[in-house]
Amino acid sequence: MKQQAMVKVRLDEAELQSRRAFFEIRDEDLRRLASLRAFADKYTHEVVEDLYILILGHADSAKLFVDHALVDRVKRAQREYFLGLFSGRCDFAYAEDRLRIGFAHERAGIPPKWYLGAYSRYMRSIFDRLLAELKDVNETRLAYQSAEKLVAFDMALAMDAYIAAQLQTVARHRAAIQELSTPVIRIYERVLLLPLVGTIDTQRAEQLMEAVLGKVVEEQAKVIIIDIAGVAIVDTKVAEHLLKTTEAVRLLGAQTILSGISPTIAKTVVHLGVDTSSMHTRSQLSEGLELAFDLVGREVTPSQGKRGSSGNARVGNAQR
Amino acid sequence: MIQMAARVLSHHEMPIESEDDVFLVRRKARTLAEQRGFDPFSMAALTTATSELGRNAFLHAGGGAVILEELQDGDLVGIRLQFRDHGPGIADVERVMQGGYSTLKSLGLGLSGSRRLVNEFHIETAVGQGTLITITKWKRL
Amino acid sequence: MTPKGSIPVLQVRSTLVVSIQVELRDTIADAFQEDVLQRIAATSAGGLVIDISGLEMVDSYVARVIANTGRMAKLMGTETVLVGMRPEVAATLVRMGFRMEGARTALNLDEGLDLVEDLLRQRRGRERRGQ
Repeated sequence: MKQQAMVKVRLDEAELQSRRAFFEIRDEDLRRLASLRAFADKYTHEVVEDLYILILGHADSAKLFVDHALVDRVKRAQREYFLGLFSGRCDFAYAEDRLRIGFAHERAGIPPKWYLGAYSRYMRSIFDRLLAELKDVNETRLAYQSAEKLVAFDMALAMDAYIAAQLQTVARHRAAIQELSTPVIRIYERVLLLPLVGTIDTQRAEQLMEAVLGKVVEEQAKVIIIDIAGVAIVDTKVAEHLLKTTEAVRLLGAQTILSGISPTIAKTVVHLGVDTSSMHTRSQLSEGLELAFDLVGREVTPSQGKRGSSGNARVGNAQR
Repeated sequence: MIQMAARVLSHHEMPIESEDDVFLVRRKARTLAEQRGFDPFSMAALTTATSELGRNAFLHAGGGAVILEELQDGDLVGIRLQFRDHGPGIADVERVMQGGYSTLKSLGLGLSGSRRLVNEFHIETAVGQGTLITITKWKRL
Repeated sequence: MTPKGSIPVLQVRSTLVVSIQVELRDTIADAFQEDVLQRIAATSAGGLVIDISGLEMVDSYVARVIANTGRMAKLMGTETVLVGMRPEVAATLVRMGFRMEGARTALNLDEGLDLVEDLLRQRRGRERRGQ
């Protein structure tokens, strides 16, 4: 999980140094914060309690923290976070830690607005207590600025983690949709069917071809029927994609039947001058089915003696 | 919004002075893709393009070298190869790639074929100056 | 058994079966072609089945070697069938635009052997009819 976090947010040593530079986090900032460790130890509990008065006092955010055990766990994590600000470190391990917090928030469904609001609350808590502790305005200013820089750095990482996690969810959904929209079905022994519906753009066509080829080998299918009756537009590109797929299926040792060729499609394809001589084509899916059965050595015959059942058929061995 | 350029995660240089070298380069490209979790179709495409271009460099240009790099661009992971040969250069690249020269048929096929297998394809060539071909294949999300 | 021993050529009835498990690199490719043709000469095999289920990658060079071997075998009277191509190999070849003209294909060894027998039967029929 840790390694994964780093790759997803593209955080390598160079990136880390670049961020430290941009957020102007210097060694003296880290030293200053480390020197305030005792201060942190003293006020950690209060600061976190303050934060939770805000969160639990606000109707919308309180909804996320109904469970007492959860609240305790989160408070503990927040105390650790707070102390971490005064560790004097801003290295790879520190960044990794902050990233993990971001991923945890995303997983728990806590939206950015809550934890950005929380960071803001922290800063105000820190300022008040720093002033009370250090008394000197200039020293307080310096200490506050060092803390603010580091908190901003942390916020950036938390946001990056959040966005990366969301993007991954989108990618997963997209993959699922693609799979659903390309159902290659085994309708009979060694016979596959792919009913195409909608528009076929290049990306979908590529993905279709791969799904078809994979399924043909997996099922050792001799025939695949691709029905295009539901395809919105059949232009040169679509025709070319279908041809490529047919050729690839042939290379595997199987055959393709293209069914659902409407008069419109037939006219378009011929006018386009696309060479379809290598393909089996039919206008109706049912005709495609019959041809498919024939190619696998079966034939469709009417079944005997069924009352009021026109069009019932039985599939049996072809008479050769 | 800060625009970040692709970051190079690893860099490998390999010579292409023999058929064996082409084999080794191909294997390296495949290994990198496999380690990054590329799907089989993308791996086959990258390996094949690598083989075509590597072979071209060796057969038609008398040899050269290749730089293999792993890239990261936000969510995307990719593999980039730069084939540089010390050959005679190609006068009319487009014509070659369209199969316009019968004697350079395999060169043209290798170039045009490879172009169709990768996401990015750049070719810099001039007569007397050798050829530099850069291809990039991104891992599917 | 071939001296270089890279790609064994087996015989199933009157059909030769070659299973390519290694990458067809230059000298291995030449030896493969030579071995196959020599075996055809020696056995007058009616059929040749080339199994490429072990190949993860087939570039234009390898595709040419295989296609040419098939054509050479055909000249010598042997029907050739290519079997076991992987999905990603098929996809890459068509995407490249490489055409495997005239190559007969089958899903697996079993089907390949059946197809060879079919092809030989059809050829005998044609030749008898003087076509």
